[in-house]
Amino acid sequence: MKRLAPLFAASLLTFGVQAQANEDLRFDPEAMAWLCAPCHGTQGRELYESMPALAGLDPEFFTQTMLDYREGRRATTIMDRVARGFSDAEIKAMALWFAEQPAEQWNPEELNHAQ
Amino acid sequence: MPNNSTILSRRELLKSAGLGALALSGIFGASHRAYAKNAQHVVVIGGGIGGATFAKYMRFADADVKITVIEPNKEYITCLRTNDVMVDLHTLDELTFSYDTLRNNYGIQFLFDSVSDVDFDKKQVRTKQGEKLSYDKLVVSPGIDFRFEDYEGLSAEIANTQLPHAYKAGPQTLLLRDQVQSMPQGGVFVMSPPAGEFRCPPGPYERASMFAEWMQRHNPTGKILILDPKNTHSKYGPFRKGWERLYGFGTDNSMIDWLALDEGGKVTQVDPKRKLVKTENGTEIKYDACNVIPNQRAGKIAQHLGLTDASEWCPVNRNTFESEIHQHVYVLGDSTIADAMPKSGNAANTQAKVAAKAIAAELKGETPGNAIFSNVCFSLVGSRYGISISAIYEVRDGLIKPKGQSAGVSPIVDSPAQAALEAVYQKNWHRTFVKDVFG
Repeated sequence: MKRLAPLFAASLLTFGVQAQANEDLRFDPEAMAWLCAPCHGTQGRELYESMPALAGLDPEFFTQTMLDYREGRRATTIMDRVARGFSDAEIKAMALWFAEQPAEQWNPEELNHAQ
Repeated sequence: MPNNSTILSRRELLKSAGLGALALSGIFGASHRAYAKNAQHVVVIGGGIGGATFAKYMRFADADVKITVIEPNKEYITCLRTNDVMVDLHTLDELTFSYDTLRNNYGIQFLFDSVSDVDFDKKQVRTKQGEKLSYDKLVVSPGIDFRFEDYEGLSAEIANTQLPHAYKAGPQTLLLRDQVQSMPQGGVFVMSPPAGEFRCPPGPYERASMFAEWMQRHNPTGKILILDPKNTHSKYGPFRKGWERLYGFGTDNSMIDWLALDEGGKVTQVDPKRKLVKTENGTEIKYDACNVIPNQRAGKIAQHLGLTDASEWCPVNRNTFESEIHQHVYVLGDSTIADAMPKSGNAANTQAKVAAKAIAAELKGETPGNAIFSNVCFSLVGSRYGISISAIYEVRDGLIKPKGQSAGVSPIVDSPAQAALEAVYQKNWHRTFVKDVFG
């Protein structure tokens, strides 16, 4: 784990979520991310639709896009309303969760090999 | 291994926020192909949107638990998009889904049977075919039941044969389609939406819209009369603006007329022989086709198991969806009392995910985290005109309430792009949503 320390520190700096970033993160990031699945696919991995996949997105891009929706800086039909349900810290936590997911179409058959 | 390192670093970050254990839960290390004999058992009654989503996400939340779904039907037809079937935009086959993926890939067992009783002390479910299943946690996702008795002259039998509610997908969907499509030119289609809490609050108004579009082409002098036991309804503003734009709503030539409760809209009696309905103030209204969608209550199995209270809906702990009446029993979806959350498929889907996380935590002896839910619901006012309602929800003061400023309906704007895009997203949502439930 020691070798990971520099990367860990780097990601903290990148997102400006230093120690107190957990401020009021009242929700499990995965529980928040699961709410996106009806439109964006299981684990955000629906690649063949106009509502875009979220899996594997650059977390800075995800965060900035959500903030732009929330603050009315980006045209949309529904995402402004959705984004207004989340705090900065919650958006960042979802960004990091989706960044972990493979940017591949969700395929339940992969579960069979997940021993 | 750069990718792995990056992933781990992010996990470390989450761990630093005290959420490591939760963030790491998931499919990794799944061993569901061979359960230990002492595996804990979660039994699910009902394989609809709530039950199927729950089973899938229970597997995500716990790789080792044994999951059994008890469901009478081998396939599920979504009520979602049946309004499209009535105007030939979809077939029921396209809305029919099997449980094969949940069974084969998620290691979920299915018992195609009905529940006769539950012994809550012994934690045992008995089925009509005589099976006995012991459970550690029981999840009930029972859907809705209809209050036919609120309308003189109406019964389940009459709904099946003459006056289809078409509010559960199946033969009644096709019966109503045929009745409206075979109306004489200039005929009147009378609709009566429910009062109180009911499944899919915008559903009746979308149905009126879709038939209006169909009639513009096939029965242009026909009329749709909505007799409403309410003075307002879901997506009221966006529906009205859409009806004005597409169907002349508010003019003498409107294809859709809407009579509110205060204007005498409440239907109290039906007479299919004379083809008329009677309203509260005694007015008789003749129809050529008619759709009474009755008032509703929790599904029959919820009533039978004593999971309902005096309201005829199921009270639950809002943070876990555990029944307030029976311990270790959880209720999901349309049957529950969920405060600001509507009775929608999307709502049931996110309630199921909350319950899966809560049950996984409790089976491990941990305390469930805070619940968070969402609802996104698109309706069509025309096949190329969509509208939506959405919100994120959390629990405050013991009730489910919209979180932040997230609750709202589509803005009414001059640009035609909003409605055009929401019609695209509506189709997109259904395709993706059913994959999240059954795939």
